[in-house]
Order: sequence, then structure tokens, then C-alpha cells
Amino acid sequence: MKKEEAAAVQSGYPGWSGHFRREPEVPFARRGRHLTDLIVGKLLFIVALLAILIVFFIIGFLLRDGYQIVLEIGLWNFLAGMDWNPAGPTPSFGILPLIVGTLLVTALAMAIAVPLSMATAIYIAEIAGPRTKEVIKPAVELLAGIPSVVYGFFGLILLTEWIRILFDRPSGSSWLAGSILLAIMAIPTITSVAEDALSSVPREFREGSLALGATRWQTIRRVVVPGALSGITAAVILGMGRAIGETMAVLMVTGNAAIIPEPITNVFSPVRTLTGTLGIEMGEVAFGSMHYHALFGVAVVLLVITLAVNGLARFIIHRIQMTPARSRASGAFMQSVHNLIPVSLPRQAKRRVIHPRTTQRFAFLLISLGVVIVLAALGVILLEIIVNGAGAISLEFLTAPPSNLGREGGIFPAIVGTLYLVAGALAVALPIGIATAIYLIEYTADTRLTRGIRAAVDLLNGTPSIVFGLFGFAFLVLFLNFGVSLIAGQITLGLMILPTIIRTTEESLRSIPKSLREGSYALGASKWQTIWRVVLPPALPGIITGAILSIGRAAGETAPIMFTAVVFSSRYLPSSLSEPVMALPYHLFILTTSVPGADNQKFGTALVLLMMVLSIYLVAILVRRRYNRATVM
Amino acid sequence: MDDSTILETRDLNLWYGPKQALLNISIRVPKNTVTALIGPSGCGKSTLLRCFNRMNDLIDSARITGQILFEGDDIYADRTDVYTIREKIGMVFQKPNPFPKSIYENVAYGPRIHGERHKEMLDDIVETSLRRAALWDEVKDRLHEPALALSGGQQQRLCIARSLAVEPRVILMDEPCSALDPIATAKIEDLIIRLARDYTVIIVTHNMQQAARASEYTGFMYMGRLVEFDRTQQIFEDPAEELTENYITGRFG
Repeated sequence: MKKEEAAAVQSGYPGWSGHFRREPEVPFARRGRHLTDLIVGKLLFIVALLAILIVFFIIGFLLRDGYQIVLEIGLWNFLAGMDWNPAGPTPSFGILPLIVGTLLVTALAMAIAVPLSMATAIYIAEIAGPRTKEVIKPAVELLAGIPSVVYGFFGLILLTEWIRILFDRPSGSSWLAGSILLAIMAIPTITSVAEDALSSVPREFREGSLALGATRWQTIRRVVVPGALSGITAAVILGMGRAIGETMAVLMVTGNAAIIPEPITNVFSPVRTLTGTLGIEMGEVAFGSMHYHALFGVAVVLLVITLAVNGLARFIIHRIQMTPARSRASGAFMQSVHNLIPVSLPRQAKRRVIHPRTTQRFAFLLISLGVVIVLAALGVILLEIIVNGAGAISLEFLTAPPSNLGREGGIFPAIVGTLYLVAGALAVALPIGIATAIYLIEYTADTRLTRGIRAAVDLLNGTPSIVFGLFGFAFLVLFLNFGVSLIAGQITLGLMILPTIIRTTEESLRSIPKSLREGSYALGASKWQTIWRVVLPPALPGIITGAILSIGRAAGETAPIMFTAVVFSSRYLPSSLSEPVMALPYHLFILTTSVPGADNQKFGTALVLLMMVLSIYLVAILVRRRYNRATVM
Repeated sequence: MDDSTILETRDLNLWYGPKQALLNISIRVPKNTVTALIGPSGCGKSTLLRCFNRMNDLIDSARITGQILFEGDDIYADRTDVYTIREKIGMVFQKPNPFPKSIYENVAYGPRIHGERHKEMLDDIVETSLRRAALWDEVKDRLHEPALALSGGQQQRLCIARSLAVEPRVILMDEPCSALDPIATAKIEDLIIRLARDYTVIIVTHNMQQAARASEYTGFMYMGRLVEFDRTQQIFEDPAEELTENYITGRFG
């Protein structure tokens, strides 16, 4: 060491024996790194462009096939026609009952879901202790993880029965049943976004209010909730988007009569939604017929509605991000301070009939009631399926193919088929998704192109899964002539989970501090070296979490695969990508809706699907939690 | 002074979008010395520092005119390789920014990305660099533990070791002690003085005592201009400009 330093001083600048690289002949000669940078950058750019093209292609394809119906019968007759009867002797294609059905089911669902979600969000953010929080939050997230076909199964087997008996109706399949199910499905979305909004209200505002002698409830009502209002609005709209786009659960419980309820407040009337129509009719429509075009028209209308709803939510969220939390809350805060002042004046206080503490007790009681209802819904669904399904599970059930239309035998091919579908979907979506996210975060500033890509990704994210199914059916199965096949299902599912993967990857890349990138650049690392060695490794857990969540979603989805990849009964496993497969969600759907006398098998299948998906989600939650604790940077 | 000048700027101007951050800076940084850049917040001293190894390239809105010469070669010339510049002109940041890897991997990162693969060579480089950064004795038994487990001062010395490992000739330091306590600061200052035997150090600092203690040359900057550049002793005892004197005596800034 000593000697070395001395040598270094002599030579004018330091260096150790065995120099680890050649001195370039030209002072600052370019090396291969620039080429790598250039190639990688171009590749990522092409992939990101591909992501946009996919979106435009999907939309273009739907429009192309849907436009025909408008040409045939006119826009007004299509949108405002009162009669949807595509298969009759004189077919008619008026979708007004479908639009009304969608709106009614969604509206009532929101009326149920919003109060319950708000109660849960307020409870988690403001009232619960840390330990209770640790239990309730994952429980609500579990609700989000239950596949929609399992909700539909629960709704058809139990919920409609309860409604039939409770209200003494000939059938429980109704608007009400659909709305209750959708409400349960929208609760996790609304709750988690609203809870984020509540939690981001700065602490000082709560303390400021409490210091004026306000009760906790007064603080929540007048300071916290107003401060988080735009976030809560966005939460409700996002929940609404989820409800409008839902297919399977709604299709299974709403009765599907294409009528407008008579009178319009008759919640026991059957209704039919836009998504339900696609789910029921797409499978048996003749390619290129009027009916076929009408269904694409329905898909376009559905897409437009969900786009409008999600666009509105995005706009609101964007505005929140533009204004810092402090300035957002301060208006509400000043106003609330103003409102609170009388509380501290004794003369005013005496005039109150009800003491604020009584109000608080009452409010907290209602909130707790809301939380209990949400947890009870989760508990009932899980319990029913576990208790009834446990008896069906046996070694044979898990390892044998079905026989007698699924009434006997097992579900082995369905389990394997689902695994194949999910693996293929990941193989499609992971490379494209991660590359797009890297391009967006590392290679570009906020340009028109990146805004375009992000908007396209958001668009794809809000697209109902049945629309993906429709696209897959029309483009992959029919147009490209893949037939109903494993590969068609894999690509369709892959497109569906692509936005989730892009989003989560973007988020985890964004969470890597800029100082790490600078540290690497300052050592002479190239862009790609920096990304590959410094940025990606710590971002990996986040990316993996996103991938796992996508696996859960893909494993539970029915709508995208029902016309593209699955058959109901198959004794064999597929031997190539061009053969159809069995899949758990579809198997459950058919057993529930079309096979009488397979009770045991239904519950068993529901249980296996539920456990599979929930354990995937559980892994994701655990990975995320571990990761959050591990990075104290 | 010509022979011993290692870095030189000629009429350097820099804009962030429409806002000009550096005005006509001409400075000659002598080799194997510590040069301090002082001045009030927003005077452009960090911006100037980040010009020397082209870290400003990472800021899209930054635009530059004038020349920066490193050993006589223009570092903004077309044929210049920005990555090679940063190899030769290293940087240590305000807040320690070790990678979330082990201590060993942090130091070995630079040699690795420049193509060194032999384990023995890497071991050698890691040890030498850590010794030069006066950190070896504290970490030699836990080289494979996470760097983030080190204290703030140790992390900063690790970052210095990390930049030494790629054999730079110049080390730029952007307020390297501002996030550290007085004891850790004293250690870093000692280290800086010792590093000047083999390297050229340019340090941006808010702390005038630090400039007085650790540097041989000092440049005073004010509103994007280099007001005065001279031997540190001269600047602190008998500055040529009144502005410099006002700043040093604490009348503003």
C-alpha cells in the first residue's frame, strides 16, 4: 500500500499495478457501450410503440366491425331502439334496454357500495389501531381477489335464493341481485383508493382541529373528508368503472331479460346489461351477420361508457397530483376551523341538543356497522364455499378428468389448462410490459409520445375484460384463423394483464431514487449498465408483485377466454398451442349455469379456483410487505 | 500555471430553459490540489461542478456554450465519450448514495462496468480503494454486508472509495458533508486533504471554515458569475473584490 502510493505520486496520478483496462489511444474514444445504448434504446422504443399500436388496433378492429350495424339500421335506432331481439323472425337491434339495464344495476350497486366503502375507508384510515388495520386491509384486498365467476356462482346459488325467499318472489334473479354482487365487487376498489386519499391528508390538519376542542368525528367530517374529497370522488368513479365492465357475475344473477323494469324502480325485475349480452350471445352468433355486427356495436358503446368514466377518474386524480396536498386541504381546513369555533364557546355549546360526543358515538357505531357488513360479506362467501366445497375435494377430484358432463370425475384438465393459460399470458405480457415501462421511465421525459403511451395504457386498463374476449374471438380465432385454441386465450389474457404489468413496473422503477442513477453515471456507467445493474435489481420485488397480481387476475378471468380458448369437457390435456383447453373459471361457469345435479362438483371447483387465486394474491401481499420493510432508504 | 492546470473552462455559459445559470465562467483548476467553490445558495456553484463531468447532460433543459478543457481536450467535443469523461472525473454527492448492494459490490461496481472480471483484481481494487478512503479498517470484516447498514459518514466515505475504484484523476464533491455530523465531517475533511496528494479535488461547500481548512484554492461565485478565484489564503485574508469580502465576513449569504 505504502509503496503503491509512492508510485502513484511519482507517476503524477494514481494507478495500481495491473491496470484493469487499456488506455484508449484517442483521449475519449467511443466504445461499444454507445452502440449497446443505442440498440437497447431503439428496441425498447419499438416495444413501447407496439403497446400503443395494440391499443389502437383493438379499438380500430371493434369499430370496423361495429360500424356496420350503424350503417344498416342507423345510429338512433341502434342506441334508442326499445327492442333487442336479434334472433327473432324480424330481428331488431335496439340497445336502449341494455344501456338502461347497465345504468340501473351500476347505480344501485354504487348506492350500496359507496356508504359501505366510505365507512371501511374511514375506519381503516382514521379509527382502527395498527393491529386491526393489519387484519382489515388484507381482508378487503381479498375481496378484490375473488374471481368474478365465483361471485356469480355465489350469487346464483345463494343470493338469488335468499332474495326469492325473503321477498317472496317467483325468481330471485334480478336487478337487486346484480347490484348487490357488483357492490361487493366494487367495495375493495373504492375502499383502497379512498383510504389512500384520507391518509394523505396532512397530520397537522387533524391536530389543528383536535387542538380546538373538536371531537375525532368532527375532525373526520369537517377536516379530513373534505380535504380528501377529490380523491374520494375518483375512488367512486373508479369503482363505477369496475362495475360497468363486469360481465360474469352480472350475467349469472340478473335474469337477462332485455326489458326496462316496470315501474323503473322495480328492483326485483330482471334486467340485462351490455356486458351480459356480449357474454351470452357472442358464443353462438354467425360470423359477419347483422347480429354479429350489432354485438360489436354493443362492445363499442360499452367501451365508450367505460372510457368516459375512467377518463373522468383519471382527470380528477391528475388534478390532485398537480396540486400539493397542503394547498388542497387548507381551504377545507380554514373553513372547518371557522365551523368549529362555536364549539369552543360555552354559550353556544349549551344550546346544542345533542352533545358532540354522542354524535361521535353514533357515527362510529354506524361506521363499525358498515365495516362489519363488509367483513360479513367476505366471511359468508368464503365460508359457504369452503364448507360446501371441502367435501368434494378428493385426490380423484384433483387428478382425474371429468365424466358425465362434469357430474362425476375430477377437474384435473381444468387445473392444468388454467396453468397453461396463465403461463402463456405472462410470456406475452411480461416482456412487452416491462420493456414499455423501462422505456417510459428511463428513456423519455414527459413528451407527447410518452403521454400518448400512458393514455393508451390507461385506456387498455379500463377496458372491460369481455371486450378483450370479443377482440380475441373476432381477431385471433376468426380473422387469423387460430380457432378456439390455447394460444388465442393466452394472447387475449396477455393483452388484458399488460396494463397492470406496465403500471406496477413503472411504479417500482419510479420509486428508485434518482441519486442512485446519478451515482452510477458519475462512475462512467452507460445508460444501459445503470438500468441493468443499479435500477432494476432493487425494483425487482415491485415488478414481481405486479406479475403475481396479474397471475391472480388471469387465473380467475372467464370472459376473455370463454370464446377464445376453452371447451367445457375434455378428457385430455392439449398437446399443442392450437388445441382448446379446459379452464377452472369456465368449468365453474358451465357447471353452475348449464349442468343440473352437479352440486358437489360446483362447490369443489369453486373452492379450488378460490384457493388457487387467493393463495396467489396472498403471496403478492407477502412479497410486498417484506419488500416495504426491507427498503429503509 | 499552464502545465499544472488539469481542468479549464473558457467563457462557459449555461441555461436551464430560459434562465441563465452560469455567466462567462473562466477558471483554471490546478492539478493535485483541493479547490473549493463557495457562494450563497443558487449562485451556480453546483451547476458549475456538474459541468465538469457532464452530469448536466441528464437535465434535458440544460444548454451550454463555451469550452471545458480536461488536460487540454474539450470534453463537450463531438468525438468525446461522455462515459470516459465520467470515469476520469468522478463525483461524490451531497447525500451519500450507496447502491443497495453489499459494501464490496459498491466498490467493485465501477471496475466491473468497465470490464474487470477477475476476482483477485477486484479484491485488490476494493481493498486499495477502501484503504484510500480511510474506511478499510472499519469494514474489512463485513465487506459483504449491505452498504445501507453503514452510518452516514461511513456511507459517504464508501461513495468516495467507490469513485476512487475507477481511477479518476479529478474528484468532484458536491457539499459532501452537508448531511453529516461534525465528527464524520472532520474525517471526510482529513480524507480530502490526503486525497489531494494523488488526485485533484474540487469541492462545493456552504461551509466557509471547511473551505479555509481543506482547500488550497478558492473560487467565490455569486449569481452565476465567478467573482474571484485565488489561493484560499488570499481569498480569506485579503480578497480583491468587495463582494467576496462581504460574503466571507458574513454580511450576506
